[in-house]
Amino acid sequence: MPKQEANGDLVQGTLEMLILKTLALEPMHGYGVALRIEQISGGVFRVNAGSLLPALSRMERAGNVKSEWRSTENNRRAKYYGLTPKGRKALATETEQWERRTAAIARILEA
Amino acid sequence: MGIIKSLITGLHSLFHKRRIESELDDELAAFAEAAASDNQRRGMSPEHARRAALLQTGSRNAVKHQVWSSRWESSLESLLHDLRIGIRGLLKTPAFTIVALASLALGIGANTAIFTLINAVLLRPLPVSHPEQLYLFGKGSWVGSVDDMPNRPWQLFSYPFFKDFSAQTRPFSGIAAQSSIQMGSHIVLGGGAAEQVHIDLVSGSYFNVLEVPPALGRLIGESDDGAPGAGPVAVASWGWFQRHFQGNPGAIGRSVHIQGHDYTIIGVAKPGFTGLAPADPADLWIPLSMQKEISPGWNGLDDYKFQSLYLVGRLKPGMPLTQAAESATLLLRQLVRSEFLGGAGSQDDLARLQRARIDLVSASGGLPGLKLRYTAPLTVLMGIVALVLLIACANIANMLLARGVARARELAVRQALGATRRRIVVQLLTESFLLAGLGAALGTLLAFRGLQLLLALDTQGTRSMPLLDLSPDHRVLGFTLLVTVLTALLFGIAPALRSTRIDLTPTLRDGRGASSASSRGALSRSLIVGQIALSILLLAASGLFLRSLRNLTRVDLGFDPRNVTVFSLDEYSANLPLDARLTQLQQQIEQKVQSLPGVQSAAFSMFTFNQGAWSSPMTAQNVTPNTLNSDDVLYNVIGTQYLQTASIPLLSGRNFTAQDNATSPHVAIVNETLARTFFPNESALGHHVCICDPNAHGQKLDFDIEIIGVVRDAKYMRIGEGQHMAAYFPYSQRVQYFGNFSVKSTVLAASLIPAVRRIIAEVNPQITVAKAEPLSAQVESSIATQRLIGWLSAFFASLAVFLAAIGTYGLISYSVARRTSEIGVRMALGAQAPALLWMVLRESLTLLLAGLLIGIPVSLGIAKGLTSFLQTELFHVSATDPVAFLTASVVVSVMTFAAAWLPARRATKVDPLIALRCE
Repeated sequence: MPKQEANGDLVQGTLEMLILKTLALEPMHGYGVALRIEQISGGVFRVNAGSLLPALSRMERAGNVKSEWRSTENNRRAKYYGLTPKGRKALATETEQWERRTAAIARILEA
Repeated sequence: MGIIKSLITGLHSLFHKRRIESELDDELAAFAEAAASDNQRRGMSPEHARRAALLQTGSRNAVKHQVWSSRWESSLESLLHDLRIGIRGLLKTPAFTIVALASLALGIGANTAIFTLINAVLLRPLPVSHPEQLYLFGKGSWVGSVDDMPNRPWQLFSYPFFKDFSAQTRPFSGIAAQSSIQMGSHIVLGGGAAEQVHIDLVSGSYFNVLEVPPALGRLIGESDDGAPGAGPVAVASWGWFQRHFQGNPGAIGRSVHIQGHDYTIIGVAKPGFTGLAPADPADLWIPLSMQKEISPGWNGLDDYKFQSLYLVGRLKPGMPLTQAAESATLLLRQLVRSEFLGGAGSQDDLARLQRARIDLVSASGGLPGLKLRYTAPLTVLMGIVALVLLIACANIANMLLARGVARARELAVRQALGATRRRIVVQLLTESFLLAGLGAALGTLLAFRGLQLLLALDTQGTRSMPLLDLSPDHRVLGFTLLVTVLTALLFGIAPALRSTRIDLTPTLRDGRGASSASSRGALSRSLIVGQIALSILLLAASGLFLRSLRNLTRVDLGFDPRNVTVFSLDEYSANLPLDARLTQLQQQIEQKVQSLPGVQSAAFSMFTFNQGAWSSPMTAQNVTPNTLNSDDVLYNVIGTQYLQTASIPLLSGRNFTAQDNATSPHVAIVNETLARTFFPNESALGHHVCICDPNAHGQKLDFDIEIIGVVRDAKYMRIGEGQHMAAYFPYSQRVQYFGNFSVKSTVLAASLIPAVRRIIAEVNPQITVAKAEPLSAQVESSIATQRLIGWLSAFFASLAVFLAAIGTYGLISYSVARRTSEIGVRMALGAQAPALLWMVLRESLTLLLAGLLIGIPVSLGIAKGLTSFLQTELFHVSATDPVAFLTASVVVSVMTFAAAWLPARRATKVDPLIALRCE
């Protein structure tokens, strides 16, 4: 396992954006999302069930993701989450905002 | 997903919480399993992998809780949870719950009741479209004039004025007129018994301007209000129509018989509309063109000087009020100049004319007559009940503080287990809201039952209140809701904050909250001091009102109402002309009734007590007019035995006799004040006077009335009035229809009333007797409002003192209970009962002293500040009456002392052994 750096202190709302991004490729179950985020971030972000599941529940309520029970690759049942059209739109706007914001911060840091 | 959908899913998951939870369980299990198999893939042993996975997933319950609280329905759930805890807590302490609910119910109920009255009298708009566009010309006070040219703001207007205004004012889309003269009219419906109805005489524009549609038939229009006598039609109010015809539309076209004339019912106004004075609802509307038929003797449709109409205009949208008032004033001056002054007028007249103007007053709530009379009493009552509620709040806050201390351990445990302070404060406030809500529900029930009861009592006996629509509307409900929320916050916030600010360790160790008790003590002590101070204020206020009431009941009326019965009847329906035949009929009735066994005297009169007055200036021959004798004189026209009937003693001269008739010289009897004012140095007997204005010029004065007697002063219109000049004339010389017939008799009313009715029916079966009531009832009802305020304020003040006493009792009991072991030690060391008694009483005496020191000066200050306001409500009592304030202080002191005495005595009965052991 890669060494943990600043774990978890995700900016409020960023987790949801990351989840949206992860789900944009294909529907996944909860652990899949956590694993994907951890792998892609190179182990920087480790999301545990305690923050992932409430976030997914919130997003489902907001209509950004939808869920269904499906069997997994090794024939277990798991709850799969997928993006709704609304979630896709939310991802686009949030990504754009995020880029604008980081670019601005980067400019300030470089100045 | 919209809000609605989220609401539905939220509620769904709330009701199927178990299923949602098991689903979460499944998901968590799947999560852990996936993690475990993933770990295994990375080369861990199965056992190892499973444990690492569980570590990764975290506490199953914690995750579930986090998911649950990320959803809105979790706060609803915790609210329900808090409510459940609250109800359980209230049920566990029934004594506290009962006292708190009772004081809240009384406090909120009283506020709701008084506000309902205020709403009905002062706030509710007329049930017409855009009532805010309606403006009354003048302030609507009952200042009428039949011959003078007023130089002050005009209040009432003549019919020709109204016509001119309607034709010429541009700021108004229309002007409606209604007669201000109130005639107790009797009607007969299709051969049935006569009944009294309230008739509004209105202009043809009335319903148009008010934009009131008919429910049936048609309403009065311009064509009905043409030439005098041209519109014998009537519009019924919905209520009257329902009472008489049970909503049968066949009633349209039938006729009603009113004072000798038939009127066709042409329509029914929309339900809910009862005229411009909702507190004095109209039964029938009749066009002003019938003024002469409805009120014979009081009419003048073509007379510019007969100013008797209320004018209400509907302002055009967007028209500024000041501009409308200016334009109306300008028109008024033009009209007065051409009609009164013949287009010219002296310098003096023109100067006076410059002061004549029209004030426009909002008529969105109708005519302000009732408002003028009830604003002050209702404001006083509202203030009183608000203070009572404040005291109730202080009491409950105090009890909650005590409860908070008792629950300190529970709260400390919850905080130690990780409940946030906010969560606990919310829970405690939920309890407060629960309490306030229950109290408000009970109080609202109480208020409406109470008001119904009050009105029922009122209509049985002497009427003190007008007919009011007391049904709750959105304003009343909003007010009650607001009061409830404020109340809950007022009594709940401080205890909730206080009992969560706990030093956990000692509380948990000790469990009795000793460390927080002293600070609670300071807060609850100041609450008690506040209650004592407020009680003094309320008691002093009710003392003032009661003393004023007592003074009113002790006033020398100048007449004796005992054994006098007043019959109100309608002679118009006798269909007799105004001449000797009418006089004969009246004399015949008087003689026949006088000869009844047990009857001492009987007489007709224009007025009896508290029925209004006919007033205008008088001038005496060879007496120079001055400011004193130019005042209005009150006139009454009476039968020969009226003075005996009312027991008004003759001081000099003679009474009217049968010899004073239509052909003999005109005579008058005056009262002492008039005699003294006009003839300070000589007897008034033999002087000649006339009913004429000494300052009116260009008029030839005919001093045709001789003063033949002087009688004692009496009260004429109100008990509280000063001395008025008054004069009586015999009806044989001033023929008129009467509405009052007074009989003095020792016979029981039950046998007298039918006998008198029979005699009147024998003499003329057309004359209808509407009701008979004792003269004493008229006297009583003239101060009914003062009586109501006096007793209500006394009731509320007693309630306040009682609540404050409960508060003191609770505080001292609590402190005795807390000091049980200390008292036990003191006793064991040899302290005597009196010393212990004093030790406990000292605490309450300090509170009492502080309460008195604050309460008395503050109440006196408030009374001084309100002096001008109170002076109109109080009769011969100063606003800072020492007796009232002294009594208030004594009562509060005695009650506080008694409330402290009971627990103090208990302290002396403590068994030292038990006290020491319980530590």
